Parts: sequence; C-alpha cells; structure tokens
Amino acid sequence: MRHFNNPVIKIGAHETGKPYFSHTKHQHLHFSQNIMQDNNSLNAYEVHKFMSKMDILVAFTGHFDHQMITILLKNIRGKLKTTSPEMAIEQKVYCILVECVENVSKYSSGNEDSSRNGMFMLCKSDTKYTVITGNPMLNKDIPSLKAKLENVSKMSREELKQLYRQQIMSERETENNAGLGIIDIALKSGNQFHYNFKPLTETTSFYHFQTEIEINS
Amino acid sequence: MNALIIEKTEDSPGVKFDPATAQLSLSGESRPENAGKFYNPLLEWITQFESILFWRKEQKMDQKPLVFAFRLDYFNSTSAKYIMDIILTLNKLADKGYPIRVEWYYDERDEDMLDAGKEFAEMVQIKFDFLPN
Repeated sequence: MRHFNNPVIKIGAHETGKPYFSHTKHQHLHFSQNIMQDNNSLNAYEVHKFMSKMDILVAFTGHFDHQMITILLKNIRGKLKTTSPEMAIEQKVYCILVECVENVSKYSSGNEDSSRNGMFMLCKSDTKYTVITGNPMLNKDIPSLKAKLENVSKMSREELKQLYRQQIMSERETENNAGLGIIDIALKSGNQFHYNFKPLTETTSFYHFQTEIEINS
Repeated sequence: MNALIIEKTEDSPGVKFDPATAQLSLSGESRPENAGKFYNPLLEWITQFESILFWRKEQKMDQKPLVFAFRLDYFNSTSAKYIMDIILTLNKLADKGYPIRVEWYYDERDEDMLDAGKEFAEMVQIKFDFLPN
C-alpha cells in the first residue's frame, strides 16, 4: 500500500550544505537525517531506498546540454515504451517531459557557472506519472514566468485551447516563444501542475516545477 | 530547383522536398536545438517553389497538386510554431489558386497527434487528409 497520494517533493540544501529531501504532507517521509553517513557523504542505501519509495524512474542533475538531454530523452522514451502498454499515456508523458526539460534550459541561469544547470525526475506510481524539474533562475525573470503560470493554471480546457491557437498564430517574440510549452503541459496534464520559487541569493531563486499525468484518466 | 533532402537525426526530422513530383515530406522527431536554423531553409524552399508552380501554370502544364506529408512521431512546442508557419505558407499558395493538399499521418494509439493535426487544419483553408500509419 502506498503511504501518500499526492506528494509534493522538495529537494534542496540546508544552510550547512547538506542536501535534503522532504515530503510536505507526511513528516515520517523525512530522509534528511538518514540519507547522510557519519563521514558527511551520501548513504547509497538510503538514497536507493528513497528513490524506490518515491517511485523515481529517472533522476538527473547537472548541466542541461542539448546533446546530453537528447541521449537521456531517447533512453527514457525507450523505457516508457516498455513500462506502459498505453501509448497515449506514454506519448503524453514524453511530450510533457520534453517541454519541462526544455524549460529548465530556457530559464536556468544564475551566474556563468550555473547557467543551464538544473535537475529533473520522472516518477511512476500505480496511478500516475510525475515529472519534476528544478533549476536556479534570476529573480528578475520570475514575475513574468509567475504571471504566465498563474494565468494558465486558472484556465479551463477550452480556454487553454483558445490561448494555444492565439499563441501559435502570434508573431514570434523570441526563439523559444515562451508560453506555448506551458500551455501544452497544462493541456496534456489536465492542468495538474505545482510550482514554487525558493530564494537562493539576492538575485537568484530555485524554481521547482512539478506536473502529474494520471494513468487511467 | 534542387530537391531538399535532409537525413533525420535523433532530434530533427527527415526532410524530402522533391520539386519534380511536388511531393514534400517531414518525418520523425522534431525538437532541434535551434529550430529557426532548421526550419527557416524549409520555409524558404517552399516560398521559392512558388515560381515553379507559377511557371507550370503559365505553360498550361499538367499541374500536379503539391502534397505535403507530415509523418511526425513527435514535435515540441517550438517546432509546432514552425509547423504552423509551413502550413500558413502553403495556405498562401492555395489562396493564389495552386492545388495544395496536406497529409497528416498519425499512430492510431496517439490521439494527441491526430488532435494536433486537426488543430492546424482548423486554422487554414487547405484540405487535410488524416491517415493512420
């Protein structure tokens, strides 16, 4: 039996630099204590246990280089095909994952070193897939992104389709035409997404984005 | 006018634009690193192909319809915008009286791919044929 229904996973670092994984709804799923060994290194067994418990299929953290991401996505696509008999769901998960991962490369920035840095995870439970991404980004870029996310999250399916048509016909502002991706995620997930921004420094924050795709919807 | 042939890669679709037969196709997966760099030459080719269509019309030659076949397994949202541009360019040609047809191929288990094609079709006048793979 599963212990949680709708996990909102937080990953970050304590002020001491120790990583933590926490679960907002159930305190007993706090792993921050066990996941470290006495000598201040990660305990592989606890990490493994944590990853299995959270149904993590794939987790990646690092530089979101296009070639690297292409290899990972190809691998995940193959994996999805073997785990899911329903192609419609597998295709939805893949589409959402790509948009989420591309958003990381798009928004991820901080300083020279952390540009395009971030993480993503793909989890699968009996009832749903969960895609989680996280990346540092500049505070000055947050208001416009937040406005976009808030706007989309309130929309009905029909309104989303309307906005999609409007966006796809509009003049291109940037190469990435921010907006279409998030509408696509909202449409394909049935508008199941959460996000938050955790302040990191005076100029940067950590952007957490999570979306769910129900398996028997 | 030369044919435009591009082999497909892991992140960009295969392109086969044949001026002799007026058969154009795009197949595979589309999430190129630089979508503009990939799609702009395709749009340019289609725009230039108008001169061939015009010449054939002037010569009262048998006008083969231009058939554009989309055989995509996947495309990201950035590519969607360029696909829209291709369809709008084709629509402009259709408005000028050239016969144009779009073939939209999809996997029967992939409803989203069929829906995406229907969405594109709704925004233009050109005839779309929806064909399961």
